[in-house]
Amino acid sequence: MAIMMVGYTLALGFGLNYLITEGLNQPDSFTFLNMLLLYYFVMEFVMRYMIQNVPVLDIQPYLHLPLKRSRIMHFLLVKSLAHVMNITVLLLFTPFAITVVAGKFGASGAFSWLFTIWLMSLCLHYTVILFKKRLDDSIWGLLIFVLFFSGLAAADYYQWFRLSDVSAALFAAAADHSFVLLITAIVAGALYLFNYQFFLQGVYYDEQPGQAVSRKAQDFAFLKGLGIMGDWISVELKLIFRNKRPRTVFYMSGLFLLYGLFFYTQKSYTEGMPSFLLFVGVFITGIFMINYGQFLFSWQASHFDFILTRPISIRQYIESKYWLLNSVTILCFLFSIPYAYFGWNIVFNHAMLTLFNMGVNIFIVLNMAMWGPKKLNLTKGGSMNYEGVGAAQWVMGIPLLASPYVIYLPFVIAGKPEWGVGAIGLVGLIGIVLRPYLLTLTTRRLERLKYSIAEGFRKD
Amino acid sequence: MISVQALKKSYKNVPVLDVDQLFIGQNESFGLVGNNGAGKTTLFRTILDLIRPSEGKVEINGKNVQGNDEWKSYVGSFLDEGFLIPYLTPDEYFKFVGELHRYSDADLKNFLEKFEELFNGEIIGKNKYISDLSKGNLKKVGIAAAFMGNPQIIMLDEPFENLDPTSQIRLKNLIQQERKQRNITYLISSHDLNHVTEICERIVILEKGKVLKDIKGSHNTLAELEEYFKA
Repeated sequence: MAIMMVGYTLALGFGLNYLITEGLNQPDSFTFLNMLLLYYFVMEFVMRYMIQNVPVLDIQPYLHLPLKRSRIMHFLLVKSLAHVMNITVLLLFTPFAITVVAGKFGASGAFSWLFTIWLMSLCLHYTVILFKKRLDDSIWGLLIFVLFFSGLAAADYYQWFRLSDVSAALFAAAADHSFVLLITAIVAGALYLFNYQFFLQGVYYDEQPGQAVSRKAQDFAFLKGLGIMGDWISVELKLIFRNKRPRTVFYMSGLFLLYGLFFYTQKSYTEGMPSFLLFVGVFITGIFMINYGQFLFSWQASHFDFILTRPISIRQYIESKYWLLNSVTILCFLFSIPYAYFGWNIVFNHAMLTLFNMGVNIFIVLNMAMWGPKKLNLTKGGSMNYEGVGAAQWVMGIPLLASPYVIYLPFVIAGKPEWGVGAIGLVGLIGIVLRPYLLTLTTRRLERLKYSIAEGFRKD
Repeated sequence: MISVQALKKSYKNVPVLDVDQLFIGQNESFGLVGNNGAGKTTLFRTILDLIRPSEGKVEINGKNVQGNDEWKSYVGSFLDEGFLIPYLTPDEYFKFVGELHRYSDADLKNFLEKFEELFNGEIIGKNKYISDLSKGNLKKVGIAAAFMGNPQIIMLDEPFENLDPTSQIRLKNLIQQERKQRNITYLISSHDLNHVTEICERIVILEKGKVLKDIKGSHNTLAELEEYFKA
């Protein structure tokens, strides 16, 4: 993965000048590139946010060794620099600096330009660490992201100021005056020290956030009537609300209810591309099923043996999952009814896709989740955490999103798309009616696979 | 009660368990000893249908444990932390397991009273999640839960490990007292030869997955075991 990235970046770096002058027909490649650089950094920030880890997580093993704490901190912070993202800038822009910038501003200009960019990238490195450490997986981190980007886009749109102009001026100056390089270096140093201070305070294990927060016993009384199944569902609800990662998944599902606002507010979607709306509908009503369901068994990896040895049959276990996922799907549908404001056909779409999710997609989720699930650490954060992600998790979304289209397509070809939507609902209904039989098949499969799943979960 | 028949388990053709015949009768207290890697936990897991045997089978009360959920209502077990639910408090956990065994609130209260001494006031009513308990207290929660639902069979893996000396003695008394009151078949594995010989009338030594010795009701069991482990 890392090597692939290096290769691509390097190739892109060598082709950069040619790409801009010939491909995009911009004769002044230097100014053009400079205009884009700040946008590039915005993108780099997002990339880093996704793939970069907070180094402090692995400090425990060093704490008892005869080393000064300050040294450990410096070591960790410097070690964190060994990341492919930190050489990306050099790979990408060194060829350009040598061929183009050096031609205009001489070797020292090229050097100053390149290093300014590199140091900015390192600034991002330490900013991301702080950002993740402070805000990881809280809903705030996401909101700040969204607000920041909307703000930028709005500013450009209303011409308050254009980021590209600022960018062009900034990096042109970087090649011309060495003080820009100097300021960037100072900022990078300051960020490093800030990180250092921050980590030095957070060094004690028991003071790290997320430790031993206990709560009053809660109970989901409304589930009492459902007998053993209700008990299991209420324990699973506790799993969701008491652990960071599944909680994030749950809140994300709430946010996804708003997903429709992107599409339903635009006539070009509601009128021009009705088939596209199926996709939106599957997401809005089924996002929890998809996101939570992809780790359906992994969530309980730490106590899977408990489930297998206690008096609950595999059938009951599968059924409790079935009801949990389907109840949330129904809830999502109910909450999405206000979209009626944009036309009742949207509600009709949602209703049909809800049926489909409940009758067909649920069984795809149940069965695909059995495909080599991996152990998950519940307490770690959710967004962009790839622990527990295997092949099944990557491909699971495809059948879930594609299957409604398989039914829909023949009707579109026949010129009756509304019928197609109805047919999707009908197939879903058939799935719901055949539930006992489908549950039996799913149960048998888990009976067969439970040994290998349990064994996988016992490994750390 | 429990009958192990021609049981074999191998990983990638390396045998880890090879037990020809083993019968554990009602009200027997069966101790399993052996060095690390001897196959103790594997044997326990196979009995609990957590591992699929390569060959042979395990029957409890005449029924194969595989593909059958009946035994789960009368076999209590605690092998490791995989038998606990980390994000519940001990109170919630006991309530949940109790519900699985149809305990009423009064049943649960009665049940927990028996463990008051062992818990030493550190477990009930503390509003602390199981994941935040110390190793010793984790063990106590798991062991107590294995006793829920009046099981006929109780399986414990290393029950004395991580317990402080007082708790070890209290646990030993508890195990013996329970057995006096009703029929319980114990399966206990341990590295602590003193404890295991005190509780168990029958001791089996496992070595490389095979039953090496099967000692029943002898008076110098401990000496015999020490002799074996010295080498």
